[in-house]
Amino acid sequence: MTAPTAEVGLVLPPLTVRLTRTDLVRYAGASGDFNPIHHSDHAAATLGLPGVVAHGMLTMGVALRVVTEWAGPGAHVLSYGARFTRPVVVPDDGIGAELQVEGSVTSVEGTTVTVAISAVSAGEKVLGAARAVVELAAPA
Amino acid sequence: MSIPPESWAGREYAPTAPYEVTLGKIAEFTAALGHPAHDSPPQEAPPTFGAVVANPAWDALFTDRELDLRLDHIVHGDQRFTFQRPLRAGDVVTATLRIDKVRARAGAEIISSAVTVHDAAGEPVLTADATFVHTR
Repeated sequence: MTAPTAEVGLVLPPLTVRLTRTDLVRYAGASGDFNPIHHSDHAAATLGLPGVVAHGMLTMGVALRVVTEWAGPGAHVLSYGARFTRPVVVPDDGIGAELQVEGSVTSVEGTTVTVAISAVSAGEKVLGAARAVVELAAPA
Repeated sequence: MSIPPESWAGREYAPTAPYEVTLGKIAEFTAALGHPAHDSPPQEAPPTFGAVVANPAWDALFTDRELDLRLDHIVHGDQRFTFQRPLRAGDVVTATLRIDKVRARAGAEIISSAVTVHDAAGEPVLTADATFVHTR
């Protein structure tokens, strides 16, 4: 597989991911984060949330795929950060929530590329100032 | 609570018990993020697997009796990872949490924390900086 090349302004292939309650339970088990607001309507309501919400780390982890799937297996993420600006509410309706992820390159220094990531669910930005810095595989 | 929030900054917890990163756990976590299946199982963990190794360190904070926090009243405000290298199957790591800063608001504490993760040789692997909002 050829390593990708990047220039400032490059828009990465977007990603649309559907999250259901089952996905939240799967992530809880895989991550060890059993905060009940991610599976219990009662706990979510107690905290004033409109319903069960996705783990911020699930949203963040899924959103990073827009970078890692573009960068390919030889690349390494050097840093990744985001603010959790709005919760991703995941209704128990058999449909769940849709997360739309986009990425665009904001800086390139050699093989080190910074990507600004946008993640939107139900028309709202759910991640703020999401940025990943990735070291691309050196060209062969 | 027995300790005022303003004086929580600087608290550091003991390193977590050594955690072994395994192929099975990487596969489970990778699937939970919906990554497309690969022909061969991934040896390297996805970057946000850092949260898995940070979790017991976060738990040490959340269950600190002197802070009187409630898990179901805690929301993750922001998260930043910095990687010295990827986590790989076979790594045995520990995580150490320090409270950097606490801002107390009416009915809430905003806790800035830093978790450093080291491998069995004592080399740094990653840092996980998080802000948690705890409402009373």
